[in-house]
Amino acid sequence: MRAVLGDVLGLSPARVAAFDAETPLFGALPELDSMAVASVLTELEDRLGILIEDDEVDGDMLETFGALTAFAASKARS
Amino acid sequence: MLRFGPDDGPVVIASLPLFEEANRTRAFTVSILRSLADENIGSVLPDWPGTGESLIETRDARLLAMRAACEALVEQIARPAYAVGVRSGALIDASAPMDGRWHLSPVEGEAVLREMARTRPGIDVSTLMQATEAVELAGNLLSPAMLADLAGARVYDGEHVPQRVVRLESDPRTADLKLAGAPLWRRAEPGNDLALAKHLADDIAAWVRSCEG
Repeated sequence: MRAVLGDVLGLSPARVAAFDAETPLFGALPELDSMAVASVLTELEDRLGILIEDDEVDGDMLETFGALTAFAASKARS
Repeated sequence: MLRFGPDDGPVVIASLPLFEEANRTRAFTVSILRSLADENIGSVLPDWPGTGESLIETRDARLLAMRAACEALVEQIARPAYAVGVRSGALIDASAPMDGRWHLSPVEGEAVLREMARTRPGIDVSTLMQATEAVELAGNLLSPAMLADLAGARVYDGEHVPQRVVRLESDPRTADLKLAGAPLWRRAEPGNDLALAKHLADDIAAWVRSCEG
Protein backbone atom coordinates (compact mmCIF):
# COMPACT_ATOMS: atom_id res chain seq x y z
CA MET A 1 0.00 0.00 0.00
CA ARG A 2 2.85 2.37 0.82
CA ALA A 3 4.48 1.56 -2.53
CA VAL A 4 1.24 2.20 -4.42
CA LEU A 5 0.65 5.57 -2.72
CA GLY A 6 4.30 6.53 -3.21
CA ASP A 7 4.32 5.54 -6.88
CA VAL A 8 0.95 7.01 -7.81
CA LEU A 9 1.08 10.22 -5.80
CA GLY A 10 4.80 10.80 -6.23
CA LEU A 11 5.39 10.89 -2.46
CA SER A 12 8.88 10.39 -1.08
CA PRO A 13 9.69 7.01 0.51
CA ALA A 14 10.31 8.82 3.81
CA ARG A 15 6.87 10.40 3.70
CA VAL A 16 4.98 7.16 3.02
CA ALA A 17 7.12 5.29 5.56
CA ALA A 18 5.79 7.68 8.21
CA PHE A 19 2.14 6.78 7.44
CA ASP A 20 0.35 4.87 10.18
CA ALA A 21 -3.20 3.53 10.49
CA GLU A 22 -4.50 6.90 11.66
CA THR A 23 -2.88 8.98 8.90
CA PRO A 24 -5.73 10.80 7.13
CA LEU A 25 -5.76 10.41 3.33
CA PHE A 26 -8.66 11.70 1.22
CA GLY A 27 -9.22 15.37 1.93
CA ALA A 28 -5.93 15.63 3.86
CA LEU A 29 -3.38 14.76 1.17
CA PRO A 30 -3.48 17.44 -1.55
CA GLU A 31 -1.99 14.94 -4.01
CA LEU A 32 -4.99 12.63 -3.57
CA ASP A 33 -7.65 14.27 -5.76
CA SER A 34 -10.45 12.37 -7.46
CA MET A 35 -8.27 11.58 -10.48
CA ALA A 36 -5.56 10.21 -8.20
CA VAL A 37 -8.11 8.12 -6.32
CA ALA A 38 -9.01 6.45 -9.63
CA SER A 39 -5.32 5.78 -10.28
CA VAL A 40 -4.71 4.39 -6.79
CA LEU A 41 -7.71 2.02 -7.04
CA THR A 42 -6.75 0.82 -10.51
CA GLU A 43 -3.13 0.28 -9.51
CA LEU A 44 -4.29 -1.71 -6.45
CA GLU A 45 -6.45 -3.87 -8.72
CA ASP A 46 -3.52 -4.53 -11.02
CA ARG A 47 -1.02 -5.33 -8.30
CA LEU A 48 -3.31 -7.47 -6.15
CA GLY A 49 -5.27 -9.08 -8.98
CA ILE A 50 -8.56 -7.89 -7.45
CA LEU A 51 -11.63 -6.12 -8.84
CA ILE A 52 -12.98 -3.14 -6.91
CA GLU A 53 -16.64 -2.39 -7.67
CA ASP A 54 -17.80 1.23 -7.81
CA ASP A 55 -20.25 0.73 -4.95
CA GLU A 56 -17.41 -0.39 -2.69
CA VAL A 57 -15.68 2.96 -3.06
CA ASP A 58 -16.76 5.43 -0.41
CA GLY A 59 -15.32 8.11 1.83
CA ASP A 60 -14.77 5.70 4.73
CA MET A 61 -12.34 3.39 2.92
CA LEU A 62 -10.31 6.38 1.77
CA GLU A 63 -10.39 8.26 5.04
CA THR A 64 -7.23 6.86 6.60
CA PHE A 65 -4.22 4.80 5.61
CA GLY A 66 -5.44 2.06 7.97
CA ALA A 67 -8.93 1.95 6.41
CA LEU A 68 -7.57 1.72 2.87
CA THR A 69 -5.08 -0.99 3.85
CA ALA A 70 -7.80 -3.00 5.61
CA PHE A 71 -10.07 -2.70 2.56
CA ALA A 72 -7.34 -3.89 0.19
CA ALA A 73 -6.39 -6.76 2.51
CA SER A 74 -10.01 -7.96 2.75
CA LYS A 75 -10.38 -7.81 -1.06
CA ALA A 76 -7.13 -9.70 -1.59
CA ARG A 77 -8.31 -12.47 0.75
CA SER A 78 -11.75 -12.89 -0.78
CA MET B 1 6.16 13.88 -35.23
CA LEU B 2 9.56 13.45 -33.59
CA ARG B 3 12.35 11.52 -35.32
CA PHE B 4 15.48 10.08 -33.75
CA GLY B 5 18.53 8.20 -34.96
CA PRO B 6 19.70 6.98 -38.37
CA ASP B 7 17.65 7.26 -41.61
CA ASP B 8 18.23 3.67 -42.63
CA GLY B 9 17.92 0.22 -41.13
CA PRO B 10 14.98 -0.88 -39.00
CA VAL B 11 12.76 1.84 -37.57
CA VAL B 12 10.85 1.84 -34.32
CA ILE B 13 7.37 3.38 -34.51
CA ALA B 14 6.46 4.42 -30.99
CA SER B 15 2.96 5.02 -29.63
CA LEU B 16 2.25 6.84 -26.41
CA PRO B 17 -0.75 5.76 -24.34
CA LEU B 18 -4.09 7.39 -25.07
CA PHE B 19 -5.40 10.42 -23.15
CA GLU B 20 -3.86 11.65 -19.90
CA GLU B 21 -1.27 8.88 -19.70
CA ALA B 22 0.33 10.30 -22.86
CA ASN B 23 1.36 13.44 -20.98
CA ARG B 24 2.73 11.38 -18.13
CA THR B 25 4.89 9.16 -20.32
CA ARG B 26 6.00 11.46 -23.16
CA ALA B 27 9.33 12.54 -21.63
CA PHE B 28 10.03 8.96 -20.56
CA THR B 29 9.27 7.59 -24.04
CA VAL B 30 11.45 10.25 -25.66
CA SER B 31 14.28 9.17 -23.32
CA ILE B 32 13.86 5.59 -24.53
CA LEU B 33 13.97 6.69 -28.17
CA ARG B 34 17.07 8.86 -27.61
CA SER B 35 18.82 5.89 -26.02
CA LEU B 36 17.81 3.77 -29.00
CA ALA B 37 19.37 6.39 -31.30
CA ASP B 38 22.59 6.06 -29.26
CA GLU B 39 22.42 2.36 -30.13
CA ASN B 40 22.03 3.28 -33.81
CA ILE B 41 18.35 2.38 -34.13
CA GLY B 42 16.11 5.00 -35.67
CA SER B 43 12.63 5.79 -34.42
CA VAL B 44 9.63 8.02 -34.90
CA LEU B 45 7.08 9.25 -32.38
CA PRO B 46 4.05 10.21 -34.47
CA ASP B 47 1.19 12.43 -33.31
CA TRP B 48 -1.61 10.04 -34.26
CA PRO B 49 -4.85 11.69 -35.46
CA GLY B 50 -6.50 13.43 -32.51
CA THR B 51 -3.39 13.32 -30.30
CA GLY B 52 -0.50 15.68 -29.56
CA GLU B 53 0.06 18.24 -32.31
CA SER B 54 -2.51 16.64 -34.63
CA LEU B 55 -4.98 19.11 -36.14
CA ILE B 56 -7.85 16.74 -35.48
CA GLU B 57 -9.83 17.64 -32.37
CA THR B 58 -9.78 15.19 -29.47
CA ARG B 59 -13.55 14.87 -29.73
CA ASP B 60 -13.13 13.57 -33.29
CA ALA B 61 -10.36 11.11 -32.37
CA ARG B 62 -10.98 7.49 -33.30
CA LEU B 63 -8.81 4.52 -32.41
CA LEU B 64 -9.61 3.06 -35.83
CA ALA B 65 -8.26 6.23 -37.51
CA MET B 66 -5.07 5.98 -35.44
CA ARG B 67 -4.69 2.37 -36.53
CA ALA B 68 -5.21 3.35 -40.17
CA ALA B 69 -2.60 6.11 -39.83
CA CYS B 70 -0.17 3.60 -38.33
CA GLU B 71 -0.74 1.21 -41.25
CA ALA B 72 -0.16 4.03 -43.74
CA LEU B 73 3.02 5.13 -41.98
CA VAL B 74 4.54 1.63 -42.07
CA GLU B 75 3.82 1.40 -45.78
CA GLN B 76 5.22 4.87 -46.44
CA ILE B 77 8.43 4.35 -44.46
CA ALA B 78 9.36 1.23 -46.44
CA ARG B 79 11.90 0.05 -43.84
CA PRO B 80 11.63 -2.88 -41.44
CA ALA B 81 9.19 -1.51 -38.85
CA TYR B 82 8.92 -2.42 -35.19
CA ALA B 83 6.15 -1.13 -32.96
CA VAL B 84 6.95 0.12 -29.49
CA GLY B 85 3.71 0.69 -27.58
CA VAL B 86 3.42 2.02 -24.06
CA ARG B 87 0.24 1.00 -22.17
CA SER B 88 -2.80 1.70 -24.40
CA GLY B 89 -0.36 2.77 -27.15
CA ALA B 90 -0.14 -0.99 -27.75
CA LEU B 91 -3.68 -0.85 -29.18
CA ILE B 92 -2.63 1.44 -32.04
CA ASP B 93 -0.26 -0.90 -33.93
CA ALA B 94 -2.72 -3.82 -34.09
CA SER B 95 -3.56 -3.65 -37.80
CA ALA B 96 -0.25 -2.34 -39.18
CA PRO B 97 2.10 -4.67 -41.08
CA MET B 98 4.80 -4.56 -38.39
CA ASP B 99 7.86 -6.82 -38.39
CA GLY B 100 7.48 -7.09 -34.64
CA ARG B 101 5.79 -5.56 -31.62
CA TRP B 102 7.34 -4.60 -28.28
CA HIS B 103 4.89 -3.47 -25.62
CA LEU B 104 5.45 -1.95 -22.19
CA SER B 105 2.64 -2.84 -19.74
CA PRO B 106 0.02 -3.14 -22.51
CA VAL B 107 -3.68 -2.76 -21.65
CA GLU B 108 -6.83 -3.72 -23.53
CA GLY B 109 -9.43 -1.15 -24.58
CA GLU B 110 -11.94 -2.21 -21.99
CA ALA B 111 -9.45 -1.56 -19.16
CA VAL B 112 -8.87 1.94 -20.57
CA LEU B 113 -12.63 2.60 -20.50
CA ARG B 114 -12.93 1.29 -16.96
CA GLU B 115 -10.18 3.58 -15.72
CA MET B 116 -11.59 6.59 -17.54
CA ALA B 117 -15.10 5.90 -16.23
CA ARG B 118 -13.75 5.69 -12.69
CA THR B 119 -12.75 9.37 -12.78
CA ARG B 120 -16.46 10.33 -13.00
CA PRO B 121 -18.60 9.16 -10.09
CA GLY B 122 -21.82 7.50 -11.18
CA ILE B 123 -20.49 6.52 -14.60
CA ASP B 124 -19.45 3.02 -15.58
CA VAL B 125 -18.58 1.27 -18.81
CA SER B 126 -22.18 0.24 -19.51
CA THR B 127 -23.40 3.86 -19.22
CA LEU B 128 -20.59 4.90 -21.57
CA MET B 129 -21.74 2.36 -24.13
CA GLN B 130 -25.20 3.99 -24.15
CA ALA B 131 -23.84 7.50 -24.76
CA THR B 132 -25.33 9.26 -27.77
CA GLU B 133 -23.05 12.29 -27.61
CA ALA B 134 -19.44 12.98 -26.62
CA VAL B 135 -18.67 12.26 -22.96
CA GLU B 136 -16.08 14.21 -20.99
CA LEU B 137 -13.78 11.93 -19.04
CA ALA B 138 -10.71 13.22 -17.22
CA GLY B 139 -10.60 16.32 -19.41
CA ASN B 140 -11.08 14.47 -22.72
CA LEU B 141 -14.17 14.51 -24.92
CA LEU B 142 -14.76 10.98 -26.19
CA SER B 143 -17.26 10.47 -29.00
CA PRO B 144 -19.62 7.49 -28.96
CA ALA B 145 -17.61 6.16 -31.92
CA MET B 146 -14.35 6.35 -29.96
CA LEU B 147 -15.99 4.69 -26.96
CA ALA B 148 -17.17 1.86 -29.23
CA ASP B 149 -13.69 1.55 -30.80
CA LEU B 150 -12.16 1.19 -27.36
CA ALA B 151 -14.75 -1.26 -26.05
CA GLY B 152 -13.72 -3.86 -28.61
CA ALA B 153 -10.03 -2.97 -28.90
CA ARG B 154 -7.52 -5.71 -28.22
CA VAL B 155 -3.76 -5.80 -28.39
CA TYR B 156 -2.50 -7.77 -31.44
CA ASP B 157 -1.95 -11.38 -30.48
CA GLY B 158 -1.09 -13.15 -33.73
CA GLU B 159 1.46 -15.94 -33.61
CA HIS B 160 3.49 -15.28 -36.70
CA VAL B 161 4.97 -11.90 -35.90
CA PRO B 162 7.54 -11.49 -33.09
CA GLN B 163 6.07 -9.96 -29.96
CA ARG B 164 7.64 -9.03 -26.65
CA VAL B 165 5.89 -7.85 -23.51
CA VAL B 166 7.74 -6.03 -20.73
CA ARG B 167 6.12 -5.18 -17.40
CA LEU B 168 7.14 -3.76 -14.06
CA GLU B 169 7.97 -6.15 -11.25
CA SER B 170 4.93 -4.88 -9.31
CA ASP B 171 2.63 -6.19 -12.08
CA PRO B 172 1.63 -9.85 -11.56
CA ARG B 173 0.57 -10.41 -15.20
CA THR B 174 2.77 -12.49 -17.48
CA ALA B 175 5.61 -10.86 -19.39
CA ASP B 176 8.77 -11.76 -21.27
CA LEU B 177 10.75 -9.44 -19.01
CA LYS B 178 10.02 -7.71 -15.70
CA LEU B 179 11.94 -4.69 -14.48
CA ALA B 180 11.89 -2.71 -11.25
CA GLY B 181 10.40 0.76 -11.52
CA ALA B 182 7.44 2.98 -10.71
CA PRO B 183 4.44 3.21 -13.07
CA LEU B 184 5.02 6.73 -14.42
CA TRP B 185 1.70 6.55 -16.30
CA ARG B 186 -0.19 6.73 -13.01
CA ARG B 187 1.54 9.77 -11.66
CA ALA B 188 -0.32 13.08 -11.85
CA GLU B 189 2.90 15.07 -12.32
CA PRO B 190 4.81 13.90 -15.41
CA GLY B 191 8.07 12.28 -14.34
CA ASN B 192 10.97 10.44 -15.91
CA ASP B 193 13.24 7.52 -15.03
CA LEU B 194 16.40 7.69 -17.12
CA ALA B 195 17.85 4.45 -15.75
CA LEU B 196 14.68 2.49 -16.59
CA ALA B 197 14.49 4.19 -20.01
CA LYS B 198 18.07 3.03 -20.74
CA HIS B 199 17.26 -0.53 -19.63
CA LEU B 200 14.20 -0.62 -21.86
CA ALA B 201 16.10 0.84 -24.83
CA ASP B 202 18.79 -1.85 -24.39
CA ASP B 203 16.07 -4.50 -24.39
CA ILE B 204 14.36 -3.05 -27.48
CA ALA B 205 17.67 -2.76 -29.36
CA ALA B 206 18.70 -6.35 -28.59
CA TRP B 207 15.23 -7.63 -29.52
CA VAL B 208 15.07 -5.69 -32.82
CA ARG B 209 18.53 -7.00 -33.74
CA SER B 210 17.50 -10.58 -32.94
CA CYS B 211 14.37 -10.18 -35.10
CA GLU B 212 16.45 -8.78 -37.95
CA GLY B 213 18.74 -11.84 -37.69
